[in-house]
Amino acid sequence: MSDDRHDDMEIDPLERQLRAALKPRDPPEGFAAGVMARIAAEPAGPRRARHSPAVAGWVGFGLAASVVLSVLLAHQWQVRRIEQGREARRQLLEALRVTDEKLDLTYRVVNAQPRAALPQHSGA
Amino acid sequence: MSGDEECTRGDLLTRALGGERAAFAALVRCHQRAVYSLALRMLSDRHAAEDLAQDVFLQLYRNLATVSSESHLTFWLRKVTLHRAIDRLRREPRYEVAALADAELPASEAPAGDPILDRRLRQLLDELPPAARAVVLLRYQEDLDPADIARTLRMPVNTVKSHLKRSLAQLRERITSTAWALT
Repeated sequence: MSDDRHDDMEIDPLERQLRAALKPRDPPEGFAAGVMARIAAEPAGPRRARHSPAVAGWVGFGLAASVVLSVLLAHQWQVRRIEQGREARRQLLEALRVTDEKLDLTYRVVNAQPRAALPQHSGA
Repeated sequence: MSGDEECTRGDLLTRALGGERAAFAALVRCHQRAVYSLALRMLSDRHAAEDLAQDVFLQLYRNLATVSSESHLTFWLRKVTLHRAIDRLRREPRYEVAALADAELPASEAPAGDPILDRRLRQLLDELPPAARAVVLLRYQEDLDPADIARTLRMPVNTVKSHLKRSLAQLRERITSTAWALT
């Protein structure tokens, strides 16, 4: 390191002694071989573990297709639910119509009876 | 980090990135001294330092694609080594009180100068908190300036300077109080 880097730092015997005391030490023999042995034991290196662009493309395509399929299925389910609702409404209206006809018929039958045949309620 | 001839070749990283195992092994040999030394000074335990340094290179192998240049590689190795060491010291504080087994080192590796004073300084360094120790190591072992230390340890430059000032004061006081005079 050049001396200009020490501008704001006092250089004294203690600092010089620290530099001497902290001289780098070599690791034990076979250190690099140990590292490489551990790397060799790795199941897969980082670059090998990565997918190739083609594989990554297919994975992306698969994901996109899954999303589209999910949206279509959800839409189809919603359409079916709406259809079921409409059918239920139609059946209810039909039932109401039939009931209305029956009531109307009953009303007409009752009103067609001669008034005389009706029991007289004397007020006296 | 190393003056070895193979380390001066500029294409080692490119070849390693291309998947060439021999090139990666050369990269390990080029940087092993610096990585191991940082781990050793942080953990004060040769076996733990060797394990940590190996883990760092394994992590480098897995993340090599993220390294963009030789200078980035050096920066990356320092950063990962020190962060791993600090994490380990916080997780297992026993390493903080372990004595550095300098006596077991071969005589050829002993640094020049006053070996007793050097050893005492390293012992006192072990007493510093992990972050302060990392700052001192980057300053006096790796010869980085405060701005580079701040980038490596992801801390403000003023914090780095404050660590350095406090650590030097502490080391000076303890050296003096234990009658280890500097010449």
